[in-house]
Amino acid sequence: MSVSTSRKITPILRAELDKLVTLPLIWLTLMGTFILNLVLAAAFTSIGLQGAAGTQSILNIGLASMGYLQAGFIILGIIATCSEYTGGQIRTTLTAIPWRGLQLSAKHLALAIITLPAAFIIAASGVLYTFIMMRDTAVVAEINTMIKTLAGAAGYLTLTTLLSAAIGALIRRTTPALVVLLGYYFTVSPLTRDSLPKYFPDTAGYYMYMPPSSNEINALTPMQGTGILILWTLILIIIAIVFYCKRDA
Amino acid sequence: MLTINNLVKHRGTVEILSGISFKARPGRVTGFLGPNGAGKSSTLRILLGLDRATSGSALINGKPFAELHNPLTTIGAALDGFGAHRMRTGRAHLRWIAHAAGLSRSRVEEVLEIVGLTNAADKRVGNYSLGMGRRLGIAAALLGDPKILVLDEPVNGLDPEGIRWIRTFLRERAESGNTVLLSSHLMGELAETVDDVVIIKHGRIVADGTLEEVIGTHSTLEEAFFALTSESAGGVV
Repeated sequence: MSVSTSRKITPILRAELDKLVTLPLIWLTLMGTFILNLVLAAAFTSIGLQGAAGTQSILNIGLASMGYLQAGFIILGIIATCSEYTGGQIRTTLTAIPWRGLQLSAKHLALAIITLPAAFIIAASGVLYTFIMMRDTAVVAEINTMIKTLAGAAGYLTLTTLLSAAIGALIRRTTPALVVLLGYYFTVSPLTRDSLPKYFPDTAGYYMYMPPSSNEINALTPMQGTGILILWTLILIIIAIVFYCKRDA
Repeated sequence: MLTINNLVKHRGTVEILSGISFKARPGRVTGFLGPNGAGKSSTLRILLGLDRATSGSALINGKPFAELHNPLTTIGAALDGFGAHRMRTGRAHLRWIAHAAGLSRSRVEEVLEIVGLTNAADKRVGNYSLGMGRRLGIAAALLGDPKILVLDEPVNGLDPEGIRWIRTFLRERAESGNTVLLSSHLMGELAETVDDVVIIKHGRIVADGTLEEVIGTHSTLEEAFFALTSESAGGVV
């Protein structure tokens, strides 16, 4: 990175953080996701409490909502990039920061800075709720395992957010981007899960936070899952940047 | 100094700009006129690095927009629309732009004062009137106190008081040595503000000169405009 690029990146990152922090939709999405996760955690815990004592893992129940929870983070990523195209803000952005590759990279970095702690807190809140409700009846994991799993969950949600932001930057309009991503994550992927290999962003990313069950063949390790999801995210961000640089704004 | 040189822009199979050239000079207000769809906004978008030219160049002090060291302090631009997200407040919008250019928060308060938006700065942009939105756009253009201003239809949506304000404001900017390029289709307003006039029609320049030169034998700028842009008109003044 040249000196002039590194000198530029700090104000650009600050501007991108500013944009995210001052957009009420970002906070509404995060708060909505937090509340939805607690409601789901309560529902899964309630089901868990009816099961046999000592056979269930707090981590598994506390993270059972992840499948639904990721919808909030997909929306977060899409809002981060598609909001540029509301009210003609993209013109202001590019006249203030005409270095497109740098600007879109800084936007993803700013999004990661906000998403990572939020994802950790949201994922941990579900596990904490389950722990409080089920500590006498379920198997409590070791603290190390707990932290590793929660870090994996937060990493998965953050990478999913960044991947969604890249898709949002490519499609540029909120509703079509939502249809594509939610359609994939909640319809196409579940329907094709058994027939396709586990190398897609959601199926590989699953192993970042869920330990493979002992009877599963071809399971990935958490590191393999992380690597594959990082690769997907980076490739999509690079494609988004290439299109962003080449297209008219 | 803004230099547009032989600019061509194709969109699909349609030629939007067919090799246009003109200059906007320091110390003068240059009016860029043309009917809707003539290519005014396309030219400004290429000048500001938003769209890519098929061929030709649009330079700011001899450089393309993307090569400017700090664009906001060199050239300020307000294109059509508010240029801001509807859910953000006016002040928050100006603050992120200021941060991008390494400008202070006090500069944000100064430009809010200049455009008369201080009292509405904490309102969401979605609640702004058209005139307030234009003022916000101009405030953003002024943040870096640039020597060059590019404004697309600046008087659109302004009330008479706003029009007078912008006319006085642009004249003052030019008289202190700055370059001002503004596009408009409101001839009456423009005639009292501009020094030089460039008229574009179907992506070609049909007139380029001082206000007096372009008006020529016509009684007003409006008449000259209609004579030059009517279907039967042709040639360059």
